[in-house]
Amino acid sequence: MTILGDLGAASFLPWIRRHADRLGLAQTVSHADDERIELELDGPEELIDMMEVGCLLGPIDVWVETIGREPLAVQTS
Amino acid sequence: MTAQTTLQQAMPHQAPPHQAPPHQAMIDEWYPVGLVSQLDRSGRHTALMGEPIVVSGDDAGNPLVTGGNGRILPVKVRYGHVWSSLGTPTKDIFSIPEADQPGRRFVDVGVVRVRCSPLRAVENFLDIAHFPFVHTDVLGAEPHTEVQNYTAEIRADVDEVWATQVKFYQPQASKSASGGITTEYMYRVPAPTCSVLYKTCPPRPSEWDVITLFVQPLAEDLCDVWPWMALFDDETSMTDLIHFQQMIFLQDRSILENQIPRLLPLDPGMEIPTRADLTSIAYRRWLKRHDYTYGAQLVAR
Repeated sequence: MTILGDLGAASFLPWIRRHADRLGLAQTVSHADDERIELELDGPEELIDMMEVGCLLGPIDVWVETIGREPLAVQTS
Repeated sequence: MTAQTTLQQAMPHQAPPHQAPPHQAMIDEWYPVGLVSQLDRSGRHTALMGEPIVVSGDDAGNPLVTGGNGRILPVKVRYGHVWSSLGTPTKDIFSIPEADQPGRRFVDVGVVRVRCSPLRAVENFLDIAHFPFVHTDVLGAEPHTEVQNYTAEIRADVDEVWATQVKFYQPQASKSASGGITTEYMYRVPAPTCSVLYKTCPPRPSEWDVITLFVQPLAEDLCDVWPWMALFDDETSMTDLIHFQQMIFLQDRSILENQIPRLLPLDPGMEIPTRADLTSIAYRRWLKRHDYTYGAQLVAR
């Protein structure tokens, strides 16, 4: 998941972790700067949908402009 | 808590020197404060964002709105209602072109007082997921509880929130509906405490019925809701149209008055919004973007 916007507030990354934990999603932040956060999420698609909807609003001191999603390569045996 | 004490506690704070008053963005907006048809010389004693106001009419029917200290407030008449503002509005009241369309019946539904945030009242209006559970066998029914995918967006060109392609099965979509139909909705939020609903018009499939929610913010947790409609319906009596809509809003009131927190959260940290809530999320994003925070809770608690 790629989040773009005015994301500089220090509150956002902890907020993302809390929201993902509440949804039971495994998450790894692979990149974070003031304008872009790249987040790898693992879990059911419906819950990732909820993560996206929650992040669209985010905490009050953050403005999320857009969120993009693409599936990660799945390792198969 | 009585309405009076709620109003007193919600009086606007004095801003520190060199700082814009809180909620300035909302202070400069237009709000409904009464029905044109009920204007009289003695006036309606009410409130706007914590400030006592009086809405009266002169012998010629011209409206006059005065603030708590006797100052004359801006006034306009539109859609059967008197509109006023505590500040200096920079925009006109939003347009509803259907209000000028021949053949429609215009329905002043009246007022419903609700002990909730004015923003909560609008958000509830935008939510279709509650229909089967709150307006059972009228606007929704089990097992038809699924909200199909729809589009919700902030339209930059008009600076409004729009939700389109909203479809829902309704046992009795309107007073004139004779049976269950899948109703299509469009929602529009053109002002922080106003919403316009465009809905399938059973007698005239090529048109939309228009049902609006104009909300007067009395305090951050108290509001008067003024529904207004522009319908194609030549058969239903005006009394029945009003009673139908009042029944819907009274069903909503019991839910709204028990919501926690009472203010509308602009941080979803304590909630788990879903795709069905996309209109609410777009509305809250728009409020946040414009600093429309009177009646909002800024930090999740």
